[in-house]
Amino acid sequence: MDVEGQSAAVLAGGYQAERKGGAVVTNGAVRADLEQVFRSAYPRVVAVAARVLGSRSEAEDVAQEVFLTFCRSTVPAAEAPGWLSVAAAHTALNHLRSGRRRASREVAAGNGTTVLPDVADAVVTLDERRRVRAALAKLPKRQAVALVLRHSGLSYAEVAAALDLSPGSVGTTVRRAESALREELNRHASSD
Amino acid sequence: MRHPTDGTLRRLLDEPAGVADADRAHIAGCQRCRAELAAVRRDADAAADALHVETGADVDGAWRRLSHAVAAEERPRAAAAPRRGWRTWLRSPAVAAVGVAAVLVGAGAAAAGDWLQVFRTERIAPVTAPEADLVKIPELDQFGDLVPTEKLDIQRVADAAAAAKASGLTVPEPGALPRGVAGEPTYYAGARASALFTYRADKAEQTARSRGQTLPPPPPGLDGSQFRLTAGPGCAAVWGADRPYPALIVARAVAPTAYSTGVPFATARDYLLSLPILPANVAAQLRNFSSDGTTLPLFMSVEHMTSTATDVRGVPATLLTSKDETMAAVVWLEGTVVTAVAGPLSGDEVLSVARGLGPR
Repeated sequence: MDVEGQSAAVLAGGYQAERKGGAVVTNGAVRADLEQVFRSAYPRVVAVAARVLGSRSEAEDVAQEVFLTFCRSTVPAAEAPGWLSVAAAHTALNHLRSGRRRASREVAAGNGTTVLPDVADAVVTLDERRRVRAALAKLPKRQAVALVLRHSGLSYAEVAAALDLSPGSVGTTVRRAESALREELNRHASSD
Repeated sequence: MRHPTDGTLRRLLDEPAGVADADRAHIAGCQRCRAELAAVRRDADAAADALHVETGADVDGAWRRLSHAVAAEERPRAAAAPRRGWRTWLRSPAVAAVGVAAVLVGAGAAAAGDWLQVFRTERIAPVTAPEADLVKIPELDQFGDLVPTEKLDIQRVADAAAAAKASGLTVPEPGALPRGVAGEPTYYAGARASALFTYRADKAEQTARSRGQTLPPPPPGLDGSQFRLTAGPGCAAVWGADRPYPALIVARAVAPTAYSTGVPFATARDYLLSLPILPANVAAQLRNFSSDGTTLPLFMSVEHMTSTATDVRGVPATLLTSKDETMAAVVWLEGTVVTAVAGPLSGDEVLSVARGLGPR
């Protein structure tokens, strides 16, 4: 029934299916280690989502969605940080690509304008943010996820494990994403 | 040698130790690779700038928010939507195991063929404990095999008359609806559900072991003994059934009963209550119910719910309200039939609906 929760579940399921050939297993019960995992992983999960969305408040909503799915899953505790980061990246990218974020983005934009002293600066900052998000939304999803995870501080080994890549190809994927991001941003800049 | 790949150059920026010595030596001495490395670095820096965010999160605040969201998911499941709710109710550790409870509180009663009735609902009483403890209450299938003999099957039906026909119960109808609740309800009905539970000492031990505990040896005769658990038939009227959380639910069902093939219950009960698996405060409250075998425990968390004794037209009833005032339910028993009114309403509103119910 919960649309938000479902999308996280589906995405996380996709991630698991990619890795293990099966869906996320949930047993319906709230896992006992939830608070412990939450407290240690929450800042990073928010940071991953914020890199995608460019907005703290939206990122916190995504983090809640991801943990709601996680809390009934049977993902082993040792794999939780990687699982949560990938789920955060996927869910945030999905929000980015759908129209769902518009309302909250406009609210966030309104707040941004009031705290920044110069309205012109704010407009430029917001426009740049918007262009970055638009560019990110156009990248192939795997590249976008690898890019965001890497820039969120995950090691090559961690990104490799999370996306089922060899550590060697993480560099290639991230490099492609960065070069595609530059091209997207330049293309926009010249067409503006 | 061949020039290292873009990916290797990219990794060199972040994790030089992850790049082979030969590659590093090559790049250091190769003008083309160094130029490429500079380009890779420019893109990486630009991406880092573009993706930069101010971090720092309010973990405590976020944890409180998540806890509420988890609890909000639990509560409507337990008390609301009958289709999901009843099924979850049978499985949910929070509203845990009427079955375990029935076995625990059962005492001798009238015989019915080979089956001895060990539990019948004559009273409903809340068992309160911290949520953390309720989650720890084991489910029945962790002590043995639980096999459904009459599957729980709740169907949407056309109208009140069809619900009455399918359940054999009088369908309760509210006089006046609370503010914000409107339209025609959706009706549901289900036949009696029953299950056969066989106690398995090895399974119980496995459960205990997985929690790092050991069980005392079971009393003679308990291993392999069988219990029959029944509940229903039942029916419900749901307003706003298509919404994530319905606006109002009025449900009625024949209360649970348990039978046994005749093992000594006092022994079984004392044994189960003594197990280290059950949280001590829950066991203590259940022990208080044990004398009569007629009290259906309603498990609820002290963090989220408050229970108050009240009455519905002179019949003792239990009013449950969530502490954040988002949900209320009233439950009462008349004869063998339990009726509940629940919704995202105030305590006064559900009571007013309950007191105005009648076949009309």
